Amino acid sequence: MEHSFVLPNSGHNYDAKASKLGMWLFLYTELLLFGGLFIVYMVYRSLNPDAFLIASFNLNVWMGTINTVVLLTSSMTIAMSITAVQLGNSKLSLQLLLLTVLAAVVFLVIKYFEWGAKIEHGLWPGMDHFISLSHGEQLYFFLYFFMTGLHGLHVIVGMIFIIVVMNKIKKGSINKDKNQLLENSGLYWHLVDLIWIYLFPLFYLIH
Amino acid sequence: MSDNTKLVNHNDNEIHITSYVEHFGTWISLILLTFMTVFISVFGADLNTLTVATALFIASIKALVVAYYFMHLKYDPKIYRVMIIVVMALFLFFLLMLVVDYLTR
Repeated sequence: MEHSFVLPNSGHNYDAKASKLGMWLFLYTELLLFGGLFIVYMVYRSLNPDAFLIASFNLNVWMGTINTVVLLTSSMTIAMSITAVQLGNSKLSLQLLLLTVLAAVVFLVIKYFEWGAKIEHGLWPGMDHFISLSHGEQLYFFLYFFMTGLHGLHVIVGMIFIIVVMNKIKKGSINKDKNQLLENSGLYWHLVDLIWIYLFPLFYLIH
Repeated sequence: MSDNTKLVNHNDNEIHITSYVEHFGTWISLILLTFMTVFISVFGADLNTLTVATALFIASIKALVVAYYFMHLKYDPKIYRVMIIVVMALFLFFLLMLVVDYLTR
């Protein structure tokens, strides 16, 4: 246990509390970034309620539901992996993180097929079908592609973050006593989940 | 030396480890809420505006559950919760200003 005590400014600049606070500060800015987009969505939906309703019928509720379940499950596995590391079980933690990354891949594959179907129907901004739509429906698809796209980008970043963390657990630099980076990757991943929790009803569940 | 050990132990005691069972329980509740919101939306379509409100209400409960349990806010120092409230207040302020703008055009 003698190695676990580190003097301030002794060259080992590990500070779990500062690291966590920094991560949260970043997450607050992320909340405002997506918050701004939700406000844009709210304005245009209130101005074009019928167009948003009609456009939303192009989305597959079941694919959205499956993706919600996938993300919620991955949130649980990463939360459990933190528990595992804190209890000193690095092997189980790695397995749970692998499941989280696999869930992220499943999410992206489903998203790929969803976007693929839209693009095949010419609904990507600028395509034939898209141009023939009413103004309100065009706004819906602009927002759909932008917001789910930005969210998908966060999924990819979260995946890379988790893979980096997995390597550090393998090397032993994230362990029972020093695991703030893992916790931060968890926080980021939960934020991705949190945003999807709002995107799902707002785009898929307009009925 | 004894002072140092004491300090380490003190810090270790502060760390709260959430059990696997609690995480699983959180997951169950989130899944149930998801199916509830899908069910209301798909089978309660004629309720119209009420479904938007319920969908957002359920989404907010889910967000709180994720933040409180998965993101560990329940067991963290108060400062994180206070700051979330500040951020949310800022967001609501933006929202209010925008609504006022649109209503007074």
